[in-house]
This record gives sequence, C-alpha cells and structure tokens, in this order.
Amino acid sequence: MAEINTGGGGGKHDGGKVRSKKASTRVDMTPMVDLGFLLITFFILATTLSKPSSMTLNVPDKTKQEETEPIKASNVMTVFLGKDNKAHYIFGKAANEDPELKTVGYGYEFRQAIQENARKVSADKFVVVIKPTKESTYRNMVDVLDEMAITKTKRYALVDQLTPDEKKLLKDKVKIDA
Amino acid sequence: MPAVKIKRASSSVDMTAMTDVAFLLLTFFILTAQFRSQDAASIDTPSSISGIKVPDKDIMTIGLGKDGKVYFGIDNQNNRIAMLENIAAAKGITFSDKEKKEFALMSNFGLPIAQLKSFLGMPKEQQAKIKQPGIPTDSTGAGATNELKDWVFNSRKANNDLRIALKGDNLAKFPEFKNVLATLQAQNINKFNLITGTEAPPAGWKAD
Repeated sequence: MAEINTGGGGGKHDGGKVRSKKASTRVDMTPMVDLGFLLITFFILATTLSKPSSMTLNVPDKTKQEETEPIKASNVMTVFLGKDNKAHYIFGKAANEDPELKTVGYGYEFRQAIQENARKVSADKFVVVIKPTKESTYRNMVDVLDEMAITKTKRYALVDQLTPDEKKLLKDKVKIDA
Repeated sequence: MPAVKIKRASSSVDMTAMTDVAFLLLTFFILTAQFRSQDAASIDTPSSISGIKVPDKDIMTIGLGKDGKVYFGIDNQNNRIAMLENIAAAKGITFSDKEKKEFALMSNFGLPIAQLKSFLGMPKEQQAKIKQPGIPTDSTGAGATNELKDWVFNSRKANNDLRIALKGDNLAKFPEFKNVLATLQAQNINKFNLITGTEAPPAGWKAD
C-alpha cells in the first residue's frame, strides 16, 4: 500500500546502544485519496457545468403597424412544419398554378433545400416564411430557426396562419383544423 | 568484495501529489458548484448551434413542458417574495411569512394562483409528488384567465431588469408555444431568449 517503510531505527549493531524504534513519519494516505475522489465524483455529477445556450428571438411589435413594401412572391420560400418531424415547402406563392410541394426531413435535407432555393434569387431578396402547423412541435420550430442561422438567411418570418390556398395544398399532408 | 545488491524498488507509491491534485479539484468543484435545482417538471430542450450563453442573473424562465403545461420561475429569492407579494395584492390573497419563505425556495412552479396557497402548506415530500397542472394561458395572451401574464407583469414589477428565457420541451406542440408567445407579445415583450442545448455547427460554418 501507500506507506513507505522508512522506519530505519531499531537495528542492533554490534556494541551499539539499543535505540527505541522511531515511529514512521509516513501516513497511509489511501483512505484520504479515496474520500477525495469520491467527493470529486459527487460534485462532478451533482453540478451543472455546461450552461445551456440560448437563441435570441425578436418578434415584431404587434401594436405598431409598419407599412412595408410587399414581398414579391417569386422570392419567397414557404416552409410548413408538419407532423412526424417532416417539413413541406414550396417556392413561390401557393396561389400559383400547381406549386410543387416538396417534403423534407429536418437537418441536412432541409438545409440543402434552403440553399438550393436561395441560389435562385439574389441574396438580399430571399425570404423564408415559416408556417408551423398545429401538429409541429417546439423542437421543429427551433430546428428551423437554427437552420436559418446556419444558412445565414437574414430575412425570415414566423407566421401561424395558413391562407385558403395553402390549406388546400396541405390538406392531405397535415391536419389543418385540430 | 561482496556482491552488489540490486536495490529493490519500493512497491509503495508516494501519494502526496495525487492527494494534492484531488483536493485541488475538489475545492474547485465545491466553489464553482451550482446545484441542479429541483424543477417542477423535467424539460428536454432542443439543441441549436447558437453560442450565446444564458445569463446568470436577472432571468425569468418560462418553461413549456412536453404536455403543454406552462411553468414559471425567476432567479432571485428576494425577487420571488416581492413578486408573490405583488400578485397577492393584485389578486386579493394573503400569504403568511412561512408560505412566502417556502415560495422563495421554489425555483419554478406550475400552479394556478388559487392552488398555490394549499400547495405551499404541504410538506416537502408531498409537494414533490404532486403533478403540477401548469399555469393557465390562452391564445389571446391577455384574457382574464391567463395567469401567466400576471406572473410576468408582477415579476417585472419586482425586478425591472429581468430578461425572459423560454425553455420549451422538444415535444411541446406549437400551439402551446404560440399561447406563451401571445402572452408576451400582449405585454409588448418582443425580445426574448429560447433556451437550447448546444450542438456543434456544421463543418466550415462560421458565425458572422
């Protein structure tokens, strides 16, 4: 174990005096080390070291009505957050004849879709409209907002109302009225 | 000449250095420890690449559980008491000093105001067992039954520097989040933080 026997005294040499055996100055530190590490383990497990991060979300002031230039529908990608962690998106306006509704999962597929659509229009005009449906979860919304940060999409909006055209488009994908 | 004896290495190790390190670490952990607070419900937050940390103080946390229940908490114990006094005055309820002290120890809660008094009177073990029903909200954000707006209002009255953090569960449905959002917007709060876990950004991604 941990003690080192340095008790050198007490040896009888010929003709030497009989010395009393000196007590060892070394202490067995094993239990102390044990206890120390036990406490360390406890403190490591019982504390929260990594603080959660946070995303800032700024929403427009509802009390102020700001007149803004209408956004051209051809620059808009509308993302509908559906059920079972799937997102549906269209590029352009739902009122257009037969818009192509594509379905993607969150993550890489979704990121590619944004980048693909962002390339079609000039960077300062591209707008993403995020429309969470009743069946989407909070996680889906955070994922999409995160994707906005990753793809550096500066202009995006969170809208929770579907237009009649969009409802028609989505009716076999998600439950509109809960 | 006697044979040279090979000095046998001692099998015991000097543990002093190890002890030193162990206790140094121990001291560090004790001093920096922030114990996990007992939450009203466990909330599993989604992760994001955002690198902004949640501030340590002056923070109001609105929790959104996976079943859509809303929880509320503010960080400072003195502020909690002040908030409770404000809301008690507004609602015409009185709390005893013991109840106030009990309330100050709760990091967050999810109870309608009417049930709060009886909850505070219960022993600790019983409190932990009770499933808290959540704070009532509504979709307009300013209805008479929306108690979240009262808590938000009165906590800001107690401490005007409070920042708002929203801690939602992965599985919380969007309409429930919308109710919380509507409550905040009804009070003209347009900036807040969403608490998320940390996730590594994709390779090559740089913040600008």
